Amino acid sequence: MSSSVLRISNLTHDFGSLRALDGVTFEAPPGAVGLVGANGAGKTTLIKLCLGLLTPVSGTIEVLGGPPGGQPRVGYMPEASALPLDQKAADFVAYSAELAGLPVRSAKRRASETLYLVGLDEERFRYIGDFSTGMQQRVKLAQAIVHDPQLVFLDEPTAGLDPEGRDAMLELIKRLGGFGTNVVFSTHIITDIERTCDWALLLDGGSVLQSGGIEALGTTGLVRVEVDGHTEEVAHRLREEGFEAVVDAGVVLVRAGGAEIYEAIQRAVVAEQVGLRLLDEAQATLEELFFTLPPTEAPLPPPLPGQPQ
Amino acid sequence: MTQPAVIVDRAYKPYEGDRRSIAWIMGAVVKDGFRRVFGLRRKFTKKLFPWILVGLMVMILAGIVIPAWFVGDQLDLPLPENAEYFDITSLLPILFMALAAPALLIPDRRDGTLALYLSRPLTRINYLIAKVVALFALMMSVYLIPQALLFISLASLDGGGFFAYFADHGRTLAAIAGTAASYFVLHASLGLLIAAFVPKPGFAGGAYLGTLLIANLVTGAVVNGASGWERWLGLLALEQHPRVVRDWFFDVMTVRYVPTEAGFDPWVSLATIGAVALLAAAGIWAQYRKLP
Repeated sequence: MSSSVLRISNLTHDFGSLRALDGVTFEAPPGAVGLVGANGAGKTTLIKLCLGLLTPVSGTIEVLGGPPGGQPRVGYMPEASALPLDQKAADFVAYSAELAGLPVRSAKRRASETLYLVGLDEERFRYIGDFSTGMQQRVKLAQAIVHDPQLVFLDEPTAGLDPEGRDAMLELIKRLGGFGTNVVFSTHIITDIERTCDWALLLDGGSVLQSGGIEALGTTGLVRVEVDGHTEEVAHRLREEGFEAVVDAGVVLVRAGGAEIYEAIQRAVVAEQVGLRLLDEAQATLEELFFTLPPTEAPLPPPLPGQPQ
Repeated sequence: MTQPAVIVDRAYKPYEGDRRSIAWIMGAVVKDGFRRVFGLRRKFTKKLFPWILVGLMVMILAGIVIPAWFVGDQLDLPLPENAEYFDITSLLPILFMALAAPALLIPDRRDGTLALYLSRPLTRINYLIAKVVALFALMMSVYLIPQALLFISLASLDGGGFFAYFADHGRTLAAIAGTAASYFVLHASLGLLIAAFVPKPGFAGGAYLGTLLIANLVTGAVVNGASGWERWLGLLALEQHPRVVRDWFFDVMTVRYVPTEAGFDPWVSLATIGAVALLAAAGIWAQYRKLP
């Protein structure tokens, strides 16, 4: 049995003559997965295909081990407006729970609990039309998780929120993992993914730019060495020992090549009689990956063992 | 001795209760449809129009039945027959359809909630069937409850006795059901088809009423006395087909309707209602299969 919550293989979708997704292949492990891409990259299309709201031109999708669509334990928070403004929050969220098969009494109780969780306990009997944008986003999140989904798709959940609201929403999303809910979270704000997700799928123009664990994606294969003086000299000694080493912004960057690199660094520091301030593996941010490392020109390091390609 | 304090954890709890079948979920959509049409759990303005219509229907029925019950003998007030009653209240069910069909379909598209609903176990077909069931239940209440009360009143006031009236008028009951069904199929098809395409409930209601009115006026003018191809236009007098069928089922002749005037038998009206239903179903499906 597959441990992946989402398995996509060679997925292609067109809108008329426009190719929205082109051969997307991805496997999402349990946890929080970020879909990153500019507007028009195909994030929303991918989510709608996973929910069965669209039918792909070709390719296969497996959601929680089954076909997309019709799954009682999948939640969805769309980017676009999706709230009945003439209903009270509690009524709408309870109805959303009923549509996932929860009996009426359980649906009402879950609606109250979920609205409390998203911070709308006091306001749950107010009409949604009277809510601020941030409160409406919270109602959208509440309806997406009210039925205790195993997997929830969040499409741009921070769109339209002020910084404070955005922080609160990201905190809520981070908490979902603790409830045993797997999350697929799309955004064009890369730092949001770094804050909330374990895995990322970088989309560009309907194609996969890169995918994998956030930390592994950011692995540069470089070791950072910060010393309190003689920086150039330390780099020179490392080069003399046959390592690639450069100085960048006062920090020595050395191409990692196994355990011997650390011994070489130790020898260079001792030889120069300088103090070692910092020694770690250099990490690239997703933003750096997205904008500076297109895979065709500068491929990222190969995935770690057990990590999807 | 005081009890130790208890910390109540109101945080997220996994749901471990049962999850109902798709039929139950469709039932939830039907219930929501009732609430939406009658404006229940919504602001006062949403309640106004439907409850005015319900009030008018009750008043008309009460205005006919109550005097007949209490002073009918002295004043010689005859109750209308069931067939006539369809005509007496004909406008109110049409107005109710103009309200209900758009209210059932349009808000889910307008508000964007359709995508949410279809991301649940509900399929497009399940959703549309549930909406039709909701409309059927609502409209049958509008058609049949007054008819049933009238029938019971007629039976109560009948000189031959209550049960004898029932026994003698069994065919009337079948005619009432058949007529109500033909009214529903024609009007629901048209109302839902328009509601599937028009983005605002008010416009959809207006378009439905306008279509019925214009079709009646135009076909009435064109068909009058025509014997050539123009007579086929008589089939477009949509609102009159259920009336023709009603006369056929009750075996009465009220007035000559356009389709009858054009020389068509009642079964042609029945077939036309069926054809309108099929066309409407195809149109609605064509629209919804590509939504949201």
